[in-house]
Amino acid sequence: MLKNLCKKAFAKSIWVYHCNTGACNGCDIEILNILTPFYDVERFGIKLVASPRHADAMLISGAVTRPTLPLVKRAYDAIPDPKLVFAIGSCATGGGAWFDTYNVTGGADKVIPVNYYIPGCPPRPESILYGVALALGLVEKEVAPVELKQMEFPIDMYERNEAWEKRNVIYELVK
Amino acid sequence: MRKELEAKLKAELQDDVVCVEKSDERTIMVDVKREAVRKTSKMVTDINGRYLCSIGYDNIDRDGTIGLVHTYSVDDADRFICVRTSAPESDPTIESITPDLPSAGWSEREYMDLLGLKFPNHPKPKKLIVADDWPAGIYPMRKNVPHDLVPPGAEDVAYQLDEAPPGTKIVPIGPFHPSLHEPEHFAVYVDGETIKGCDYRGFMTHRGIEKLCQTQVSYNEVPFIAERICGICGSVHATAFSQAVESAGGIQIPRRAEFIRTLMLEVERIHSNLLWLGVAGHLIGFDTVFMQAWRVREQIMWLCERLTGNRKTYGMILIGGVRKDITPEIADDIRKVIDKVEEELMVIHRAIEKDTSIHKRTKGVGTITKEEAIAWGLVGPVARARGVDIDARRDHPYAAYDEVKFEVPVLTDCDVWSTLVIRVIETFEAIKIIRQCLDKMPGGEYFVELKDKIPPLRHAITAIEAPRGESIHYVITGEENRPERWRVRAPTYPNLQAVPLMLLNEQFGDFPIIMGSIDPCFSCTDRVAVIDLKSGKSSSMTKAELERLSRKTPERA
Repeated sequence: MLKNLCKKAFAKSIWVYHCNTGACNGCDIEILNILTPFYDVERFGIKLVASPRHADAMLISGAVTRPTLPLVKRAYDAIPDPKLVFAIGSCATGGGAWFDTYNVTGGADKVIPVNYYIPGCPPRPESILYGVALALGLVEKEVAPVELKQMEFPIDMYERNEAWEKRNVIYELVK
Repeated sequence: MRKELEAKLKAELQDDVVCVEKSDERTIMVDVKREAVRKTSKMVTDINGRYLCSIGYDNIDRDGTIGLVHTYSVDDADRFICVRTSAPESDPTIESITPDLPSAGWSEREYMDLLGLKFPNHPKPKKLIVADDWPAGIYPMRKNVPHDLVPPGAEDVAYQLDEAPPGTKIVPIGPFHPSLHEPEHFAVYVDGETIKGCDYRGFMTHRGIEKLCQTQVSYNEVPFIAERICGICGSVHATAFSQAVESAGGIQIPRRAEFIRTLMLEVERIHSNLLWLGVAGHLIGFDTVFMQAWRVREQIMWLCERLTGNRKTYGMILIGGVRKDITPEIADDIRKVIDKVEEELMVIHRAIEKDTSIHKRTKGVGTITKEEAIAWGLVGPVARARGVDIDARRDHPYAAYDEVKFEVPVLTDCDVWSTLVIRVIETFEAIKIIRQCLDKMPGGEYFVELKDKIPPLRHAITAIEAPRGESIHYVITGEENRPERWRVRAPTYPNLQAVPLMLLNEQFGDFPIIMGSIDPCFSCTDRVAVIDLKSGKSSSMTKAELERLSRKTPERA
């Protein structure tokens, strides 16, 4: 019954809440861009809302930084169930170039469960539209993730200096 | 200029001046002992030096000191003056210059947190570490701290807001707020509808970029990471970094590359100004402007995709030139697109120029005087709207700006409306510059291979006029094929410090547009960690000024 309810809830217009957790604005302007005349996301009934309490879905852009971490969790909790979470951009997907710096926690999935990933730096408005349409069942799924197992870099990207080795030691300790 | 300055400094400070040298054509490096920093700073400001920012760097490995550089720009003489000093690690105390120059407040706080420097006479030496729960005694910018150190958080630490002025209520805005689009927190103190003060808790999008680039990557990658400091003015940061390294390493890039850089910067300016115009329209509830401005802007995005391969974060700028050439076919495309944009922008311009509802929302809003704007070191359209005639493109010409002709619009109404007008005029100027670039662009190479290593420990500073103001990059070259220190000062950094002053005694409903008028880009500003507790600045204003301001508001209404 809940499944049917979900289908019913998301079959009509979904309202999305945009949450910048530490992005560079690149993804944010592309998210705003899908509202404008050329992409016009409102024709699918998708609307950007100001409060998480009005939203069905959450668009996260940017790597989750240390100060925003508790706030993102609170914003997520404020969205009424059932809810969808989209991670938009490379940073929200996996943390981006700064995935391991001192002030960054990582991608959005380290903090809250993410349903759909839309990678790109920044993703094109079309791909954001496609991702949301996929979630709504408007388009067919065309790609599937491939499990990649890469324990070490196959080629030496940089000289393996001392710092590089130290890093690997730290990672082994963590494992 | 160097000799005059040296003579003056030597006469005044005698032994405290270690050396005055010229590091390149426009940069004068002044080394002083730490006791004389404040005096030197005063003397530099007396000869029309405009404070830019401060740079702290860790030199403990070499001579056991922590360095600090205050930078100034002498706009009419096209010079940068860098006052360099250092303090031993055991006693990292340097006299603060904030009492003289309020805009230095943030820079000095930054290094209290990141390097553990101490400024005994700082007017607000509050703890400003990265996150609220960041443990004391760990300074992330020091070299002995690894870039991926994540110390466990202290529990039950809450952010302490400034005390509200008596009789006011606090309205929290952010961290996630529809009018901000980025995670920042403002606590606005209101008395009825009137704003009486404002406390800012920001730097939430700090990603540790400077530390990352100083420890992990090489010169080749930094321009690409620099572009991701800000998704709107990416090319600006990449160009500024490349120019700083080129200046430090004495690299001469081909003229064609300089023209292509100028072109990219101006294309970006059109896109950014239209973006801002749209957002400003949205913030005052005029969504038609938002939709129309972004519709016009979309053509620029498509053009950029054809030019560079991506809609944003172009990856065009490299140290030594640019990545792609502009072919004649693309040049024709650019001409067609900017003709179209100009035509459509004229329509928008005519529509908003006479629109009384926009006038009512923006005229006389967010006023601060020219004197205050200079004191707080405002930059870009925000400063030019307040009668401060500065533009890095004209004052410190870089790339190909010395060959193109353009106007620098300056208005004296000191409000949000004049900021808006200036940004629209600058968009037309950008179109003019692009046309000139395409006409004057010489042939030849667009990238030069670097044969020699970039020499280490050279200091270089560049200023680039981003759409929203002047961006300063300071680079100290390093030994391991990466910068030893790289400091970015985005235009929002000084502008945001003056926002509480702009907000003072305004209506609460005007908060979004006043905030929006500086085109805040928190991600640029926050690339290093500072939490700021700056409040209403009422203390820095005299009673007479407050009275004058409070009388002004009813007149407008």
